Amino acid sequence: MNVATVPMNVGLILAGVLFLFGVIGIIVRRNIFFILLSIEIMLNAAGLAFVVAGSHWGQPDGQVMFIFILSMAAAEVSVGLALVLQLYNHYKSLDVDEISKMSG
Amino acid sequence: MTITDVITLLPLILLSATVVVLMLVIAFYRNYQISILITLGGQLLAFLSLFVIYPYAPRQITPLIVLDGYSVFYMGLLIAASFTIVLLSYSYFIKFESNREEYFILITLATLGSSILVSSNHFASFFLGLEILSVSLYTLISYQRYQEHRIEAGIKYLVLAGTTAAFLLFGMALIYAELGTMEFSNMAFTGEITTVNQPILLVGWGLLTVGIAFKLALVPFQVWTPDVYQGAPLPVTAFIATISKGGMFALMLRFFTEVPVGSSSSLWGAFAIIAILSMLLGNILAIVQSNVKRILAYSSIAHLGYLLVAFLAGGVRGTEAVAFYFVAYFITSLSAFGVITILSRQDHEMEDLNDFKGMFWRYPLLGIILTVAMLSLAGIPPMVGFYGKFYIAFAGVDQSLWLLLIVLVGSSVIGLFYYLRVVITTFMREGDEEAERKELLFGKLIISRTGSAVLSILGFLMLAVGIFPGPLLSLIEKLVSGMG
Amino acid sequence: MNIAFYLAAAIAIVATLQVIVQTNAVHALLYMILSLLSVAVIFYTLGAPFVAALEVIIYAGAIMVLFIFVVMMLNLGPQSSEQERSWMNLSTWIVPSIMALILIAELVFVLTQGASGTTGAKVIEPQQISLALFGPYLLGVELASILLLAGLVGAYHLGRGRDQRIERNV
Repeated sequence: MNVATVPMNVGLILAGVLFLFGVIGIIVRRNIFFILLSIEIMLNAAGLAFVVAGSHWGQPDGQVMFIFILSMAAAEVSVGLALVLQLYNHYKSLDVDEISKMSG
Repeated sequence: MTITDVITLLPLILLSATVVVLMLVIAFYRNYQISILITLGGQLLAFLSLFVIYPYAPRQITPLIVLDGYSVFYMGLLIAASFTIVLLSYSYFIKFESNREEYFILITLATLGSSILVSSNHFASFFLGLEILSVSLYTLISYQRYQEHRIEAGIKYLVLAGTTAAFLLFGMALIYAELGTMEFSNMAFTGEITTVNQPILLVGWGLLTVGIAFKLALVPFQVWTPDVYQGAPLPVTAFIATISKGGMFALMLRFFTEVPVGSSSSLWGAFAIIAILSMLLGNILAIVQSNVKRILAYSSIAHLGYLLVAFLAGGVRGTEAVAFYFVAYFITSLSAFGVITILSRQDHEMEDLNDFKGMFWRYPLLGIILTVAMLSLAGIPPMVGFYGKFYIAFAGVDQSLWLLLIVLVGSSVIGLFYYLRVVITTFMREGDEEAERKELLFGKLIISRTGSAVLSILGFLMLAVGIFPGPLLSLIEKLVSGMG
Repeated sequence: MNIAFYLAAAIAIVATLQVIVQTNAVHALLYMILSLLSVAVIFYTLGAPFVAALEVIIYAGAIMVLFIFVVMMLNLGPQSSEQERSWMNLSTWIVPSIMALILIAELVFVLTQGASGTTGAKVIEPQQISLALFGPYLLGVELASILLLAGLVGAYHLGRGRDQRIERNV
C-alpha cells in the first residue's frame, strides 16, 4: 500500500485549523447541543494531530492515544447528552444564556 | 509486568476493587450504610497499602506510571481527603430520594483518577487519569438532578472540562510531534527554548498550560468556576476544591520539574502573570460575595495563585513548599467545607452568609472550627495556613521572586477582609426575628456525631501542625524531595 | 496518495466549517459525519488503516448516532432552526472570524518555522498497535475501561426517568 508523504507541518496545520473551528463553535453558538458538537470537533482535531505525529515518527503511539481519545469522547458524550436531556426537560430550552441563572 | 509491579500498583487496584465490590453490593442488596462502610474500608485499605509499597519505590511500572516518594505522598493525601469527604457526606445524602449509593462509586472513581494523575509519567496516563476524574465529576456535580442549579453547574463543568481536555490533547500532540516521546522522563531539557529554535514545542507547552490553567481555575480561565462551585452539592464542591486541584497541580509540578519550566522565559513569564492575576482577582472578587460557597471558590483561586509562586520558585525548596501548603490547604478547606456541610441537608444548603449570623452561639464547636479555618486561610499564626505561606515566601525569597512575593503579601492582606467578615458574622448576636427564622431552619437539625468528630480532628490538626510543623516537614523532606 | 490526502483535507475543512455555521441540527450532524469520514480517509493515506476504521465505526458510527438520537428526542425541528438563525447574524460572526483568521495565520507561521519532517514513512499495521496495547500501554487499556465505567454509571444515573417507587433496604 502506498503512503502519502506529506510534510508533517501540513498535517498539523490541518489539525490546527479544524481545532480552531471547534473553538469558534464554542464561542459563537448559543445552543448547548452545538457547543457539545464543537467540543467533539476539537477532540477529533487533536486526535488527527496525534495520528499525524505518530505517522511522522513511525510509532504506533499516536494511534494508541487516538484510541484513548475515542474512549474519552464516548464517555463524555454519553454523560453530556444525558445532561442535555435533563436540562431540556427542566428548562424547556437549550439556550445557554437562558439557563445561566447563577451570577455574581 | 512482574509480580512486584502488581504489588506496587496495590493502592490503585484496591480503589478499583472497592468500586467493583460497591457495584455488586448495590446490585444485590442496596443499603446506604453498608455501601458507605465498604467505601471507607476500601479507601482505608488503599491508604494502608501505601506503607506496603513504599519500600519498593521508586519504581516505573510500564512507561505510564511511576511510583516514587512523591506519588506515595500525594496519593496518601488524596485518599485521606477523600475518606474525610465520604464521612462528611453521610448525613448530607441520607435523605436523598433516589439512588444514594452510586455517589460512592463515583467518589471512589474520582479519587482513583486523581491518584493516577499524581503517579503519571506519560501523557497517556495523564490524560486517562484526568478524564476518569472529570467524567466522574460531571455526574457528581449534577447528582441531585431536580435541585436548583445542579444540572446547570453540571453542564458548565462539562463544557469547561471538555475544552480543557481538547486543549491539553492538542498541546500533547504538538509536543509529541516535536519530540517523538510521550514520557515525562524523556523530555528533559537543558538550555533555552525560544520561539526561534523550537516553536512547535513552545506552542505545545502553551496549550498544555492553558489546559492545566482551566482545570486549576486560574485567572483568566476561571470564569465559570464559581458558578460550578455554587451549583454543586457541598461535599462535591469540597472534592473539586481539594482533590481535583491537588492531583492536577502535583502532576503539573512533576512535569515542569522534569522539563524545567525555567527553560523557556516566555512560559515562566506566562505562569508569573497567571499567578499574579489569580492572587489579586481571587481575593478582590471574593469581597463582594454573599454566598459562602462562592467566597470559598474565589478564595481557592487565590490559594492556587500562592501555590504557583512556590511552583515558580522551583527546586527542592519550591517542591517542599508546595507539598506543605497543599496539606495545610486540604486540612483547612475540608474544615471550612465540612462545617457548612454538616449544617446542610441535601435539600437545603447553608450557603448564604446571613444564615451564619450568630452561629457560634448556637453551635459553639462548629463556630470555633470555622473561625480557625478562616484564620488559617487568611494566614494568621499560629494556624497551619500561616506556616504554609511562610514556607512559600521562604522558597520565593530563595529565588528572589520579589514582585510575586509583594503580590502574595498584598493580596493576603486583601483576603483578610472577607475571611474576618465570615468570622465576625459567626459571632454576631442575632435579633429576635432573625432568631425565629433560624429556629425554623435549624431547629430540627441534628448535627451528625461522626461529622463533628471528623471536624474536631481537622481543627486540632490545623492548630497542631501550625505550632509543630516539624514532623510533617521531615515527612515531606523524606518523600517529596527526591523529585525536586 | 498525496492528492488523496489534500482532497480529503479540503473536504474536511469545508465540512467542519459547515458544521459550526449550520442552523439546522440534523444538517450540522450530517456535515459532521462527512467531516469524520474525510478525516478517516486522511488517516488511511497517512498509513494508519486501523484508526481509519475505528474513526468510521466508533466516532461516526456510535458517537454521532448518539447525537442523532438526542436530536430526534428533543425534536430540534424547524422552529429551533428559526431561533438559531435569529441568533446568528453577521455581527455575531465578525469578531470570531477575524480572530480565527489571525490565529490561522499564526498557526501556519509557527508550524512552517518548526522542525520539518514528512509523514508516512511506512504503514503502521494493526499488529504493531496491538503489540503496543498489550505491552507498554497495558495499564492504559485498563484505565480506559475504568473511564468507560465512570461514563456508564454517570449516564445511568443522569438518564433515568422520574422514580415512581423508591426501593430501599434501609
